[in-house]
Amino acid sequence: MTFGDPPGNLWAAMRDVWIAGADMTRVGRLQDPLQDLMAVATHGALQSADRELPDSIVVATMNPEEFLGDGNFASNVATHMGFANVPVVRVETATSSGAAAFYAGFAQIASGLADTVVVVGGEKMTHLPTPKVSELIGRSLDPYERSYGTTMPAFAALVTRALMARGVTEREIAQVAVKNHANGARNPLAHFREEITPEMVLGSRMVADPLRLFHCCPISDGAAAIVLTAERTTVRVAGVGQGTDALALRHRESLTSFRATQAAASAAFAMAGFGPERVDVAEIHDAFAPFELISLEDIGLFPPGKAGSATLDGETALGGRLPINPSGGLKARGHPLAATGLAQMVECFWQLTGSVPRRQVQCSVALAQSIGGPGTNNWVTILESR
Amino acid sequence: MIEHLAASRCPQCRLVAAPPSRWCPRHPVEMTPTSVMGGGEVVSFTTLLSPPEGFRSPLHIALVDLVGGARLVCHGDKTQGLKIGSWVAIEAVGNIYYFSHLGALDRARLFWRRAGRAGERMSAIAQSLAKRAWKGRLRGES
Repeated sequence: MTFGDPPGNLWAAMRDVWIAGADMTRVGRLQDPLQDLMAVATHGALQSADRELPDSIVVATMNPEEFLGDGNFASNVATHMGFANVPVVRVETATSSGAAAFYAGFAQIASGLADTVVVVGGEKMTHLPTPKVSELIGRSLDPYERSYGTTMPAFAALVTRALMARGVTEREIAQVAVKNHANGARNPLAHFREEITPEMVLGSRMVADPLRLFHCCPISDGAAAIVLTAERTTVRVAGVGQGTDALALRHRESLTSFRATQAAASAAFAMAGFGPERVDVAEIHDAFAPFELISLEDIGLFPPGKAGSATLDGETALGGRLPINPSGGLKARGHPLAATGLAQMVECFWQLTGSVPRRQVQCSVALAQSIGGPGTNNWVTILESR
Repeated sequence: MIEHLAASRCPQCRLVAAPPSRWCPRHPVEMTPTSVMGGGEVVSFTTLLSPPEGFRSPLHIALVDLVGGARLVCHGDKTQGLKIGSWVAIEAVGNIYYFSHLGALDRARLFWRRAGRAGERMSAIAQSLAKRAWKGRLRGES
């Protein structure tokens, strides 16, 4: 893998950005309003950072307009949590909105515009029927292709069939879900805390052939927050990278790898000044089990064509060579859309500070990867303990 | 009988888009109109058993690489027997593509599965029948 060249001396002028604290709610079918969930995560993160008042807030929600009927959501949530007088913006890049908001907060501090920024993401959607949620999330696909009834699972199914034609097996894909459920069973905040077997995955009902129910992440509610600061702490943001691709599936160069992840990883590693070999643990966007295998290879954590067999051999399990999704991933921790990118970074922060009993990985570099829409706006973020 | 489909081509990277796009998705240049043969190879396919609001299960969707270079999403009557690499014919009805050659009854069933206003479905069925009749007349004359 080759890394992008730093853009001139721009990065040299940036300030270091550190994480001072992090928190998140339980993920699952929750009764509290979204504003409450985001307030709880924010106040928890500020408390763990020993801070009271941020200079600025960045809010991530994918679609509160349609899930909840609420607009002007940055002001809505800031006022609700008692920060009516703090500058606030909302950032949206579909399912990767949380990671995009993190980037916006990072940029405010790196540029010197702010010294302390709270980044908070959340989503609430379990109160709606599944076909409605599926249709609303599906609106992040190309409008013309959507007129065929394509949804995110349909997109993922087309990708999965192409992947299997290249030799990835049903067992390898199923093992991603099995491994992530085993990790989720060790995470008290996870949506699913039950272990599953490969037979349960392969016997679950077909959603979009060859994709089955247990290959897919659940519909979840939840919120996560991170406090970023210019003051030195024990965890530094080593690199942030964004990658994009054409919205329409028909204009993609490849079905079995995501250009947007490759570009994001390349940019993040270039900023960090090191490569994938230094990564000790990673949170990967496994909205659909096969996406974890694709992402591991797109980021360069495994050579092309090797992620499936490595997963089957236990290399990505807790205690393996490179533990992937110790939180349970989107599959078991859950996928409250705009909370997810930040929930991944909360897990990375907790791993780097040694604060996750029963699933602690010995690590000094943690990576989070978030996929926006059908792989059109992806992010790779690298954190390191110092 | 394979029909030709309206498409567009990027003057810079030669990307072919069907249906036509005004701008190339990869370059900020206007695409030029062209047409491509409605036949090609299946790249991937799925049968959606949990379709979104407005569609009925099972919903068959395929991604096809046309001989002329464009890749497109299309509906089909069934995916049974279909493989990656299978050759299919593409028919355009309005702005929607359908793969494979089908009998009149099969097509009516296929168009019916795309929910929507009853009028739209009837008009799709009528358009398809009219097209087939028109092609038959052309063949008869030649």
